[in-house]
Amino acid sequence: MSGVLLDLIRMKRKALDDLDADIRDHLEREMADNIDRGMTPDDARAAALKRFGSIALAKEDTRAVWIPVWFDQLMQDVRYGLRMIRRTPAFSAVVMLTLALGIGLTTAVFSVVNAVLVRPLSYPNADRLVWIATPEERSNEELVMSPDLMAWRDQAQSLDRLAGFFIGGERIDVGDEVVQARVVAATDGFWDLAGARPALGTVPRPGEQGIVLSHAFFERWFRGDPGVVGRAVPLNGRPTAVTGVLPPGFRVQLPPPPAWSGVQSGEVDFYRASIIQPPGPPGPATAVQLFEVIGRLKPGLSLARAHDELDAIRANTEKAFGAQFRPRRLRIVLLADKIVGGARRSLIVLLAAVVLVLLIACANVANLLLARGSTRQREVAIRTAVGAGRSRMLRQFLVESLMLAAIGGTAGVLVARLALAGLVRVLPEAVPRLVETTMDARVLAFAAAVSVATAIVCGLAPAFTVRKTSVHDVLKDGARMASASAGSLRARKTLVAAELALSVVLLVGAGLMLRSFWRITENPAGFAPERVLTMRMQFSGPRYRENTNRIAYVDELLQRARRAPGVEAAGVSSSADSRMRLDIEGAPDVPREARPSALVSVVSDGYADAIGMRVVKGRWIRDDEPAPVFVMNEALARQYLAGQDPIGKRVRLPWVGNQSFATVVGVVADLRYSKLDARSEPELFTDYRHGRPFGLTVAMRVAGDPTKAAPPIRALLAGADRTQPIFDVKPLDVALADSIAPRRFNLLLLGMFAGSALVLALVGIYGMIAYSVAQRTHEIGVRMALGAERHDVVRMIVWQGMTIAAAGIAAGVAGTLALTRAIASLLYDVTPTDPLTFATVAGTLAVTALAASCGPAIKGALVDPIVALRCE
Amino acid sequence: MSTGEVRERIELLQGTLDLLVLRTLLLGPAHGHAIMKAIERSSDDVLKVEQGSLYPALHRLIKRGLIGFDHGTSDNNRRAKYYRLTPKGRKQLAVETSKWDKLASAIARVLRPVT
Repeated sequence: MSGVLLDLIRMKRKALDDLDADIRDHLEREMADNIDRGMTPDDARAAALKRFGSIALAKEDTRAVWIPVWFDQLMQDVRYGLRMIRRTPAFSAVVMLTLALGIGLTTAVFSVVNAVLVRPLSYPNADRLVWIATPEERSNEELVMSPDLMAWRDQAQSLDRLAGFFIGGERIDVGDEVVQARVVAATDGFWDLAGARPALGTVPRPGEQGIVLSHAFFERWFRGDPGVVGRAVPLNGRPTAVTGVLPPGFRVQLPPPPAWSGVQSGEVDFYRASIIQPPGPPGPATAVQLFEVIGRLKPGLSLARAHDELDAIRANTEKAFGAQFRPRRLRIVLLADKIVGGARRSLIVLLAAVVLVLLIACANVANLLLARGSTRQREVAIRTAVGAGRSRMLRQFLVESLMLAAIGGTAGVLVARLALAGLVRVLPEAVPRLVETTMDARVLAFAAAVSVATAIVCGLAPAFTVRKTSVHDVLKDGARMASASAGSLRARKTLVAAELALSVVLLVGAGLMLRSFWRITENPAGFAPERVLTMRMQFSGPRYRENTNRIAYVDELLQRARRAPGVEAAGVSSSADSRMRLDIEGAPDVPREARPSALVSVVSDGYADAIGMRVVKGRWIRDDEPAPVFVMNEALARQYLAGQDPIGKRVRLPWVGNQSFATVVGVVADLRYSKLDARSEPELFTDYRHGRPFGLTVAMRVAGDPTKAAPPIRALLAGADRTQPIFDVKPLDVALADSIAPRRFNLLLLGMFAGSALVLALVGIYGMIAYSVAQRTHEIGVRMALGAERHDVVRMIVWQGMTIAAAGIAAGVAGTLALTRAIASLLYDVTPTDPLTFATVAGTLAVTALAASCGPAIKGALVDPIVALRCE
Repeated sequence: MSTGEVRERIELLQGTLDLLVLRTLLLGPAHGHAIMKAIERSSDDVLKVEQGSLYPALHRLIKRGLIGFDHGTSDNNRRAKYYRLTPKGRKQLAVETSKWDKLASAIARVLRPVT
């Protein structure tokens, strides 16, 4: 097809190339013939021309054989448009920048929406993948217990694959170093579900252990040596065979790990086989494996069908495994929905917000084009008078705005690229799947469609005012131009008011987000996160199966931390890594499911000082407690002790102090260290010597910048036992800021949109007022000649600007009041109709409008009346 | 198109100029002026064609692949474009000619019925 077209173009060029020469040759021959017949050269020439007919027409008809007329005219319009752009560079630059901003921001947000909400997961049959959970009523814990997983795997007919997995940190020995890696431990079905086809080697055989490395991890730690496949590598101190290496593009898309697990979301370093163990014999402390579960529905089956079947299978679990496996609720959702989670709403809000920015940009551009349209009335009238049809003029206007939009849109795609690169760099974990964002064909098509739509919307306004003008009126009297464009001025005022109204929506949205952000950060987190450095470690290897060795290690770690340079206080905590049911002495006996549960941490004496925890009542835990004691937080006291004094109460936990009751000696303020914007949960603390830590967070209050202090301290602590890696080294305030990354993402984007809206509105008002002043120069001259003072003129012009602004702001506030309820769920501790935010926004916009009208007003008033009167 | 010529001439039917050009080129390659002259001469100057309209016709035929052209030097040593019939053009000429004959005889039968 395109080959044929190319041939045609080549043929056309060849054929048309010397049409002029051909015609000249023809005429000369005809002339020569005429002279031969005895004419004078002049007569011969005239006769030849007459016989030939119109040369221009012949040429045009010949060209038309090859090039359709509309195309020719289009090229004329394009050339004309280019000339207009060159002739008014400032105007064109403002229009194109405005469009680039509007289209760019919209495209950037759409790219994220496309990657997160539109594009399917990169798994085979991703639309049939489901996430299955058994949420517990009180806690947010949703993991599935191994008996359920086994029963489903063996019996479920509605799923054709099922896999359990767990994301965690594990210790792998890569030769020179022991690395703490992010690992997905998964059961057999996982490889098929995830579409994992190793580039080297294979996946582990069913029932066998094995490691499959990600390509990045393979390159970084094994220097891309294929010999690693088949070799046994110490994993958590136990040699495990590497069976394969995944291809570079493989990315697993799983829900973010639960907050309490302490595992950060991020790229997975390797995958390993996990073998489902049946639970131990029933008893009060039965160990049971917990999994996150994904499955693939059989084609055509609904979620509800699968839910019913899985629920029916679970009913038998209790019979088979005993009372502690009493079924909990069952939740089954599409995996894609689970992964996106709460981000869907904020993305939709952001998309709506960015469309508002685009609309404001369009209003601004339409405004500018209208202003120019009225100064071009004479040109249009003349062109119409010499025979350009009205439709031809409309088309020319559209071509012009299409060209502006095309240039603006291209620049916009660049803006979007930059914005995206920035976003992904600054807040990669703020939105699930954000790192997958790319500008694919769909995004580019979107940008093109938006550009064209923008061009049509912006180009139509001036085109219609042109359509209405009468050629006769304009040509008759150029000085009447001002009155002829009264309609256009009205349109422009409406546009500016609309711009302001839309800006109110964006500014209030951003303002509410900012207020939420302040509320979160000003709310005391229950401790002082400044200058606190935290690091984590996790026990692994056979040596630390013995609890005495763990405690000895913690002793050594604390000694080293306290001795480290610049450390003022140091302590350890297991960071609420386990949730347990507790018995309160004297409380009525209730079934296990109804017993209070709390997050339990084992801590050291120095921990409270290190993070600046506030003891509300009683005392904190000491390192040399002769018998186990507990400290609880206010949330636990509030929730389960209903007004009784907690001090002296006795509490029992499954594995602390041989299951005997221990005394509560203190109460501390609620902490929000894992997630700044989450509610505080009941917590219980006990000393590490009487507890059983699995992993620890070391917290140190340092003199000076914690980031600078980190490397030597880390090296010192790692020396306690080289086989136990120290990881996640970061200042506590950074960790806290990371915990509210989604909010920072929303705030950053909405703030950017609101800022753009404010600037655009400012430009809009300024342009409108400046234009109307220029139009009214003559009138101002008359007024001043009749005795008006300069300040009267300023007042008149500013008044005009402010009435428009007031109308726009009022409409905006009314509209926003109706809209903000949609973002209520994205706010924290701020009502969606927060009066302070609304008042601030209205005030800011009013001041902006005032500033924007004053400039041109003063300039207008300074005009010399004589000059103004002469101005036509 | 001008009217009011002293000598009576007949306007060409739409599209027939293309047919005449093809027919003329059957005799051999020719440049534009020569084609025009040949048409005028062989129609005894009855057909009224503005010479300029030859060029759109030539280009239509090139585009349809019915004629081609070469650059050559003419009798008086001037560079000129020589148009020639392509095999496709030759076939088309036959088709068009027989169509024309049918049309002409049909019209003739209507106008002067044989009783």
